[in-house]
Amino acid sequence: MTPPLALTALPQEQVATTPNPGGNALLDLVNKIGPPEWIPDWIVALHAVGAGVGILIGIVSLIAMYSVWMERKVSGHMQCRLGPMYAGGWHGWAQTIADGVKLLMKEDMIPTGADRVLFIIAPGIVLASIFGALVAFPISYDFYFARMDLGIFMILALGSTTTIGVIMAGWASNSKWSLYGAMREAAQVIAYEIPLGLALMAPLITLGTFSLLDASALQSDWFGMKWAIFTNPANLPAFVIFWIAALAETKRAPFDLPEAESELVAGFLTEYSGIRWSFFFMEEYAAMFLMSVIAAMFWFGGFESPATWALRSAGVEGGIFFGAVCFVTLVIKAFAGVFLMMWLRWTLPRVRIDQVMTMGYKYLTPLALLCVLIAAVSEAVKSLLF
Amino acid sequence: MVEQTQEYKPSIQPSEEGRVLPSGEREFFFDVSTSDLEVNMGPQHPATHGVMRVLLRTDGELVTGAQPHLGYLHRGAEKIGENVEWLQYLPYTDRYDYLAAMNNNLGYSLAVEALMPGLEIPRRATLIRTICAELNRIASHLIAFGTYGLDIGAFTPFFYAFREREWIQALFEKICGARLTYSYIRIGGVFNEAPPGWLKEVEHFCDVFEEKWKEYYDLLALNHIFVMRTKDIGVITPEMAYDFGLTGPMLRGSGIDFDLRRDMPYMDYTEIWEAGAYQIPLGSGEKGTLGDCWDRFDVRVKEMIESIKIVRYCLGVIEPGPVLGDVPKVIKVPPGEAYVGIENPRGELGHYSHSDGGKVAVRCRVRGPSFVNLAVLEDLMPGTLLADSVAIIGSTDIVVGETDR
Amino acid sequence: MVSTKEYFQNVWDALKTTAIGMRITGKYLMQKPITVQYPDERLPIPDRYRGIHYLEQEKCINCLACARACPIDCIEMDAIRHGKELEWVAFTLDYQKCMFCELCVYPCPKDCIHMGTEFALVTYDRSELNHDLLSFQGMGRGARIRMREAQAKKAAKEKAKAAAAAKKADTEKDADEPEAAGAGTGGDE
Repeated sequence: MTPPLALTALPQEQVATTPNPGGNALLDLVNKIGPPEWIPDWIVALHAVGAGVGILIGIVSLIAMYSVWMERKVSGHMQCRLGPMYAGGWHGWAQTIADGVKLLMKEDMIPTGADRVLFIIAPGIVLASIFGALVAFPISYDFYFARMDLGIFMILALGSTTTIGVIMAGWASNSKWSLYGAMREAAQVIAYEIPLGLALMAPLITLGTFSLLDASALQSDWFGMKWAIFTNPANLPAFVIFWIAALAETKRAPFDLPEAESELVAGFLTEYSGIRWSFFFMEEYAAMFLMSVIAAMFWFGGFESPATWALRSAGVEGGIFFGAVCFVTLVIKAFAGVFLMMWLRWTLPRVRIDQVMTMGYKYLTPLALLCVLIAAVSEAVKSLLF
Repeated sequence: MVEQTQEYKPSIQPSEEGRVLPSGEREFFFDVSTSDLEVNMGPQHPATHGVMRVLLRTDGELVTGAQPHLGYLHRGAEKIGENVEWLQYLPYTDRYDYLAAMNNNLGYSLAVEALMPGLEIPRRATLIRTICAELNRIASHLIAFGTYGLDIGAFTPFFYAFREREWIQALFEKICGARLTYSYIRIGGVFNEAPPGWLKEVEHFCDVFEEKWKEYYDLLALNHIFVMRTKDIGVITPEMAYDFGLTGPMLRGSGIDFDLRRDMPYMDYTEIWEAGAYQIPLGSGEKGTLGDCWDRFDVRVKEMIESIKIVRYCLGVIEPGPVLGDVPKVIKVPPGEAYVGIENPRGELGHYSHSDGGKVAVRCRVRGPSFVNLAVLEDLMPGTLLADSVAIIGSTDIVVGETDR
Repeated sequence: MVSTKEYFQNVWDALKTTAIGMRITGKYLMQKPITVQYPDERLPIPDRYRGIHYLEQEKCINCLACARACPIDCIEMDAIRHGKELEWVAFTLDYQKCMFCELCVYPCPKDCIHMGTEFALVTYDRSELNHDLLSFQGMGRGARIRMREAQAKKAAKEKAKAAAAAKKADTEKDADEPEAAGAGTGGDE
């Protein structure tokens, strides 16, 4: 089988920039320390996995917490308000912690007539799917939970599992509004998976890899600014399409139809309260962050910025400091994306369900296909010229 | 293998004419009969603006029937009017249409004053009344604007609208001490003289508001998503508007040029109209069909700027003088009947007062514009999507306090 | 179906109006908020604010004008009259009913009931909403002293009068009854 055109156009040695492909950084770390011989390998592996899950849960909670706080501050200031100011002192930074404690303390209510089993496992599925997807999220070049050549596939596949949980929640709630929300979610997510994937094809063709780490490493030239969005004319429109589809995937306004506060009361969340409700909430913010990470990785250079370029040219590569700079760069880029999502949310009205479908199938999908075509052609031209 | 002896006929037949979608496209569908879902929208629902209940029959997202149910906020306001003195009824009028209390006070006062031929209303009182009524119209339309944005899903315009409304409320607070239920315009004039510097502040508000108004228009009214959501939805044809007896922006949104301020003038509106101070904005079908939700919304937004012009005219001609006519402490109204309709932000607010010469009214009837305008919902909603039904309820701009009274 | 021109017009309109909207919201993001942090910082309340009433008890003459003007009869007042001084029993205002219409303020002949700038009506119990507007029950110390002085004066006057009448009666033998004591000058104080 011949590799695709774009991949042949790339120098192959450039792709394998990081050592030990396919490994787990934690497991490597444990093996480096050298556990005693008598401990079976699977126990070591289990511990590494456990540590990874712990770190992941910490990261997701922190991201969700500060995204919520940020959302409240951003929306507040956009609306000439202050937002939370009291809890914790400085600009209400602890507001989300206080809210979380309150949600934990709330009575665990399951409506009469609800399908109890589905009702209880639905938030779990939603949260598990986003945890699963976040496994592919690398913390730096040297530190990752799983190095996968097909990382982006894994993220898209697991990320869309959320829908199952949402439909379960809507069905199990035994409320008509919840059912509407669930049905809307199903229609919307199926419609927008297509343009989401197609729009991602443009940078994938440009970079020639499915791996997040490799994608980042390939954008390290031009003083750390050889970002995919600058290297191919199709990538900017592809980013716009991706971003719209990502908004729809994460159920953010203007595509918050499954929740649609003014239409469906709270959509599939109507009957949820307390900690179960907060699971859905955490999923939303984690998904926002994940989509922003994808955008940062494949369009905006990932770990690469003039800062990392400067460190690399100064000979500092690898090690904790370099890793930290990489991580901070990525998080800044991702939070810029989260901010853009918030900005759009607090500006735009909601789209109607038939318009959502029209937009997905009639506008975004053909335009995304066009982007893929342009990206492929321009890569071919580039490979011929240079 | 069974041989097919006759032509295969599916049990589900495509319907021949199909159905026409809101966008004008014709969609053919298989006529599968599934049971309709009955959904209670309200009494506690974010889109019903209070405690109204709409019983929806839905086929998936498609609304096939809608039945508004009223009465959750009924307080017997008309009956109270027959039991309290003329002036004592004034605070109750605040509470029908709590977003436009000044206009309610004005309508009631005019209806009582119509029965008192000897009563002279000082010119300054009339002008202050006009300023207050128009400012209140702006405040009310700001709510309509903001909550319509909320219905469509845009949150931020709501806060911008409230910011300006807060300013108007602060102005009212200075002149009468209350922020929502003013009880300021009374029989014979107004309660208080405007505090020093108040008129200057109103002028300053007018200047700032004209700037902000453009932002509203750009942010919400011209937004593509908003236009797509509201055009061709809930079309009220002019004939339909006549048939249902609609008034106010609902009527003008259908392109019918009728405004009580000009066509059944009260107070000094004739003078202001003849001075050419304001126009009457009409629905034009600019974005879609004439009389759709966008037209009604557009009329409301444009009326705000016309109200600013009226306020400016009044500020130009106002002179010092008394603000209260010669009214006794306990008002006794000569026997008779009077009906006065005024242009409330929502339409014609009619007050019918019937006196037998005593201290208490014999009958105190109110024609609430929201109540009459609400009747059209039942005809508008079938055939729309669920999200459109919310947009239609929002575009009627009802205040449940007034529909139920 | 939409034509090709409309198709791209739609795409362009959507992007353009979104950008316009984002410019407006972005502008306000950079500006200072207009709200204040409430309990720490409060906006000034205008003089005419119609809040919880206060009563100038010394001026009040228990004429019931405000109670009569009230549309929902939420004012109740009662006092015992000792000549010019009033011994207050009750002046209550039921804030469960009161709708802050200010109609009680205008008819007051002595201008003694006002609406203040306090507005917080938070209580643990509904009965606490029945406010007592009197700052002191019964009569104040000053009023008592004034009343005692007035009574002493009156008694002295009557004594003098009685003495004079007795003198007169002595001379004419046709005395009038001394004037009746002032109405309501009570014995309990």
